[in-house]
Amino acid sequence: MSVALAAARLHGPHIDWGGLSPILALLGGAVVVLLVGLAPRREVRRLVASGLALVAFAAALGCTIWQWDASKSIVSGALRVDDLALAVNLILVSAGAATVLLSWRARASGEAGHGEFYALVLTSTAGMSVLVAAQNTVSLFLGIELLSIPLYVLCATELHRSPSLESGLKYLVIGSVGSATLLYGLAMIYGATGSTDFDAIASAIASGGLASDPLLLTGIALVVVGLAFKSSVAPFHQWTPDVYEGAPTPITTFMAVATKAAALGIFLRFFDVALVSAQVSWAPALAALATISIVVGNVGALGQSSLKRLLAYSAVAQAGYLLAGVVVSTRAGARATVFYLAVYLLMNLAAFAVVVARERETGLGDDIAAVEGLGASRPWLAWPMTIAMLSLAGIPATAGFVGKLFLIQASADGGYTWLGVVIVVGSMVSLAYYLRVVAAMWMRPGPSLGATEAASPYPAIAGGSPEADPDAIGTSTPAAPPAGDGGPGAGAREGFQPEVVGLALAAGAATVFFGIVPSPLVDLARAAGNSLLGLF
Amino acid sequence: MPLSILIWLPAAAALLGALAPRRGSYPLTGWFAFAGSVGALGITIGEIAGFDPGHSGLTHVTDQLWIAGLGIHYKLGLDGLNLFLVALTAVVSALAIGAANRRRWERPRLFFLYLGLAESAVLGALMAQDLILFVAFFDLMLIPFYFLTGQWGEENRVAATTKLVIYTLVGSLLMLAAAIATGVLVSTNTAHPLSFALSDLQNAGGIGAGAGLSAGSQEWIFLLFAAAFLVKMPAFPLHGWMPDGYRAMPLEALAIFSGVLSKVGAYGFLRIVLPLFPQASVHFQTLMLVIALASILYGSVMAFTQTNTRLILGYSSVAQLGFITLGIFALQPQGAQGAVLQMVNHGLVTLALFLIVGLLAARAAGSVDLRDMGGLALRAPVLSAIFLIVALATLAMPGSSNFVGEFLILLGVFRSKLAIAIVAFTGVVLASVYMLRTLIRAMHNRLGTRAESREIALADALALVPSTLVILGLSFYPQLVLHRSERSTAAAIAAARATAQPSQTARAPLAGASAPQPARTSTLGAGATHSGATR
Amino acid sequence: MLRSYLPALVFLLLGGVVGLAFALLNHRLGPHRRVAHKQDPYECGLPSEVRRGFRFGISFYLVAMLFILFDIEVIFLYPVAVRVRAFGAFALYETIVFIVLLAVAFVYVWRRGALEWR
Repeated sequence: MSVALAAARLHGPHIDWGGLSPILALLGGAVVVLLVGLAPRREVRRLVASGLALVAFAAALGCTIWQWDASKSIVSGALRVDDLALAVNLILVSAGAATVLLSWRARASGEAGHGEFYALVLTSTAGMSVLVAAQNTVSLFLGIELLSIPLYVLCATELHRSPSLESGLKYLVIGSVGSATLLYGLAMIYGATGSTDFDAIASAIASGGLASDPLLLTGIALVVVGLAFKSSVAPFHQWTPDVYEGAPTPITTFMAVATKAAALGIFLRFFDVALVSAQVSWAPALAALATISIVVGNVGALGQSSLKRLLAYSAVAQAGYLLAGVVVSTRAGARATVFYLAVYLLMNLAAFAVVVARERETGLGDDIAAVEGLGASRPWLAWPMTIAMLSLAGIPATAGFVGKLFLIQASADGGYTWLGVVIVVGSMVSLAYYLRVVAAMWMRPGPSLGATEAASPYPAIAGGSPEADPDAIGTSTPAAPPAGDGGPGAGAREGFQPEVVGLALAAGAATVFFGIVPSPLVDLARAAGNSLLGLF
Repeated sequence: MPLSILIWLPAAAALLGALAPRRGSYPLTGWFAFAGSVGALGITIGEIAGFDPGHSGLTHVTDQLWIAGLGIHYKLGLDGLNLFLVALTAVVSALAIGAANRRRWERPRLFFLYLGLAESAVLGALMAQDLILFVAFFDLMLIPFYFLTGQWGEENRVAATTKLVIYTLVGSLLMLAAAIATGVLVSTNTAHPLSFALSDLQNAGGIGAGAGLSAGSQEWIFLLFAAAFLVKMPAFPLHGWMPDGYRAMPLEALAIFSGVLSKVGAYGFLRIVLPLFPQASVHFQTLMLVIALASILYGSVMAFTQTNTRLILGYSSVAQLGFITLGIFALQPQGAQGAVLQMVNHGLVTLALFLIVGLLAARAAGSVDLRDMGGLALRAPVLSAIFLIVALATLAMPGSSNFVGEFLILLGVFRSKLAIAIVAFTGVVLASVYMLRTLIRAMHNRLGTRAESREIALADALALVPSTLVILGLSFYPQLVLHRSERSTAAAIAAARATAQPSQTARAPLAGASAPQPARTSTLGAGATHSGATR
Repeated sequence: MLRSYLPALVFLLLGGVVGLAFALLNHRLGPHRRVAHKQDPYECGLPSEVRRGFRFGISFYLVAMLFILFDIEVIFLYPVAVRVRAFGAFALYETIVFIVLLAVAFVYVWRRGALEWR
């Protein structure tokens, strides 16, 4: 027998390079960027590493578009390339590219080393791509870990700022708990159905009448908890405000937008493909989670004075809205979720880009005071932020309105009208804090001119702010610019930042554009929704 | 002429103005915005002149699929119901924007951009023939006022504007949920594809017959819609935002807000609630009448006790919109027609009154308080005369168009609920009490300590006199409105009437844009005089 | 079904009993002499000079970890080497890619100074 085996000519497996191309572009980019990070000159490292990272993201974007309308399983059925994966991929890759732009002048990328920083961003994005394409519990877990581990590191990349380190550690601990819970749940599902493949799980549940099997239900519950940790769904959201606040703001942006998209992508695929026949069992639980998330997120955001914490709680609430599309498990629901994810990318990019810009301009950190009077002093930053806030609140003529429309329609259509009403009530509560930001920008006098030039007029805030004493740490770091006049916050100053302002403006303009002409995004989302073949 | 041009002209002109170069140190934005709204006014006058009173159903329909997946249409149309409200919007906006050009604003480009946007959004809400499109415009028209109040308002502006927006958006978000539920339920119940076009909702499901929506669904949906509209008006228990908002808003913006935006709520009842949810409308008729009555009494009494002229006008609006609601929910053709006429009347007098308040404040050292005024008529006979005319119109002096409106409303209520009509009459009396008190304390009595009597300037008169002339013109010829709105208002309440009085179903067929209306349920035709109308 | 676990249970019990029996017997029957060297970890060789509070340098862990990583990754090369003729060119390409990746990691580690003993 061994002779026969030796004589047999083994063939290498068929590899669908096209289907893998987005992931390969990202990972290849990560390898190259890592090596470029070793270049001896700092300027070379900074410019070439970020430039190559952008090229890698552009290549991944191109490959994703090239593969559009594909519908195939690759890597022996571990991954599925269909419009859902590709649509979410578009969102992920755009978020990654935006993160590169935002990080270009960030202290984090300098302190951690440009090569490492961008390579981690690329790797994490690749993990997300794997995750949304996963149709096997093993590749699901692989994707989750590949996206999480770089993020733990990225959170802690402002090496000389303790809140950043704290957030990295916190995220590591909580994220590991989430991963462990998820893995445990996946194991139980495997135990109940005897398969790791999504389609096989679905048919096992349907044919074996397992929908009320305790082992399976326990497994599902643990998976829900694990994924809820990752997508910061309340009550598993406690890490979110702390981590968002502590992490470097470009990374916060990346986490808010890309992680959420990837987690919701796998929510859709896992629940609407693998577990679709057990929908009666998990849908009420998910609906309850969505409701809790909407309530907790919106109420939690009310009292926040830090913009990043505010956006973190807002992200919790938005995760609740997004879950509504998963709960109903219809094509309309999947479409609504994907549409809202795309919209969510635009709104949050606009908002976070402004936060990034103001952090570097004012030295007030991410406190809401940093945007006071922005309408008069920097209208080109105030407009994107205003649009983002109005869109997050769901005001007409912004894409957020259309997104909410889709979600509410999907809820009502899927028999969860009350969830639609909860979304609406959540939006009402959210008005209070989104409008507070808008009011701060347009209706309050800005900090006096001296504030942006020298010492901050807000001693209480500056004292408690992480930016309080950056030149003490700035001098010890290679990348931080040399402290100018030595005043507090001087090290954080930046002048004109065209790439950040440009990103904010582009995202804001797109938010309005898709609010008035939503059809391109609708087509994208519909294709994604229709690729879930088991749904109606 | 496509209605889109009419809708977007003011916003486009204001945007152009915001981008235009400045002349000297002050940009020309204001005049661009003014030109835009005058253009809109011109188009509207053309529409009124060319409107065929015998035509029923929509004209100038624009219908495009806006969001394909949800069956949401960008559908606009003009009929007798919204024609005069569109005209009112155009008149009020043009004059208010013109008047606003008299002042020098901080950041004028933004100010006039918001005014232009506001006018466009209101026009859109009035002409929208799709449920979601209506909700979108309804929400959108609030946003400019949020910024107008918050940035250019008086003291406490930020708190006031936040309150205003939260109150009204809470209402309209609930309405959004209700609107989506309507579309989804109708499409589920009738197996028609999802569509939010009003005509589809009415025809496809045969809602009038109660096939599209069960009575239970209609009721909760009705309540959500009613909440949104009553907040916007505002009506008595939901008016909490009004005092702060009216105190803080810049006067020119307030003229548009009070004159036009509040009418969109009442219009929503006629355009959407009565045709789509007739059973619920009948079910809640008494509740709505009681709310309207409470608004009339509460508004009148509060207007009498205030000394801040902005608040007097605010509470008088509460009372007047109570009358309008009363007329609508009388579910009688006369009542609905009176409501439409009264909406136009009230919008016109509100504009004039707020412009006058601005002039009075300029003569009373910037104060809008009655106690700081007094004796202002001394050297200002023209201003005084204009104020008198407007005040008499407001208190519905016989001979004024407001009298016709209130008379028709009360006639309608008499036919359906006698007791309520009798109580409502006291509102008419109270209106004359608070209006005359305001007139006398501002213009006559002893000259206020810091006040100074000055005649109206020519430029101010350019804004004020046209609005007064329109009021006078309408008083002489209210049939202009009554003729053209007759068929459409009858159609609007037909479904609800059919539900209320099944025996009349044969005579008043169900509402439907496509079905021609042979019904002559109203006898208010060419022969009606403005002293009243009888069957 | 549980019956098939019975031998395992018996085995566990037997193991415990025998082990315990020997320990007890030793304690009972064996001689007891108390000498200081008896308390040492090892009864032969030099006394340990390392104190309890001693910590290994961080570089030790780093190098150890890198060693394990590279070591284990190289293990993957053996099966391919054995069967490379059967797999043909595909395996060769795969191996080359694999080695390139390892080389990148090595260059990175080297250039970042992780191999320098500090």
